[in-house]
Amino acid sequence: MEDPSKFERYVYKNASVYHYMKISLVLEDGNKYITDAQFKQLIICGLKDLYGEVGASFPFDLLKYDQNKLTGILRVYNSGLVKLWSALTLLGSYQNEACAFRVLQVSPFLLALSGNSRELQFGDQLTL
Amino acid sequence: MVRFKSRYLLCEVCVPDRSSLQLLEDRTIYNTLRAAVNRAHGDYGSALFNIGVIVKYLNAHTGVVLIRSRKKHYRLIWSALSFITCLENRGQKVQCFLNCLHVGGTIRTCQKFLVKYNRQQLHRMLPDCKTDAEKQEVRRAILSCSLSNVREEEAGEDGSDDDGDKET
Repeated sequence: MEDPSKFERYVYKNASVYHYMKISLVLEDGNKYITDAQFKQLIICGLKDLYGEVGASFPFDLLKYDQNKLTGILRVYNSGLVKLWSALTLLGSYQNEACAFRVLQVSPFLLALSGNSRELQFGDQLTL
Repeated sequence: MVRFKSRYLLCEVCVPDRSSLQLLEDRTIYNTLRAAVNRAHGDYGSALFNIGVIVKYLNAHTGVVLIRSRKKHYRLIWSALSFITCLENRGQKVQCFLNCLHVGGTIRTCQKFLVKYNRQQLHRMLPDCKTDAEKQEVRRAILSCSLSNVREEEAGEDGSDDDGDKET
């Protein structure tokens, strides 16, 4: 009587103390060679501009960084997520050159950043 | 009735040389505080500072300052107070720090606290008098100011604080 494959929904509340963000840096004139340290320094500068020395004093980490694509994964405590995100949004220049941060994915689980449903490439059976 | 609620920060300016207090202006305090907020809290802090923060009252004799701020973010302004180390008085820099005495919801409560506080300070200072002449001098000063300014409560409170200064 009961359907074995019944839809079940699990909701986790406050499952993680961290949030993970996948971000990419877009520069006005194409790519540039930016090291991981420079990348993080740029984010810290943006935070300091917007929130000052006191407001920007919360920890966040650059877990992974791809120099070729200028993308990185940030880990930040939940309490600092809004500040970090707003600082990324309002950051507008790198070495007097217009730039922008695109926030690609945000999740409390690092595993969720392994794939992006928006960039899915479907198999041959669909394209044919 | 809807109104903007405020918090009033009652602070005293502590300087090494009391005579330098005479040159103090509310504009100086305002600009210094704005710089401190900008440094500690960035553009976000500056934006909050620009709405609602005003130096309501400054007593250049006693160094008492009353700063009004919106209730929503008075803690942000309060935290920046500690980072003020010097005030610029007409071109010359004066080392100082701001000591926050009281945080109140209205000017009235701040005024009441100030009267109480100054009275306490006076009680603390009286036993330090070395000679009877000093005590008499203080008593005379208190009596003179309280009688002349009996109607003006605020003036009376300033006078009593002046007495404390003479004592030191």
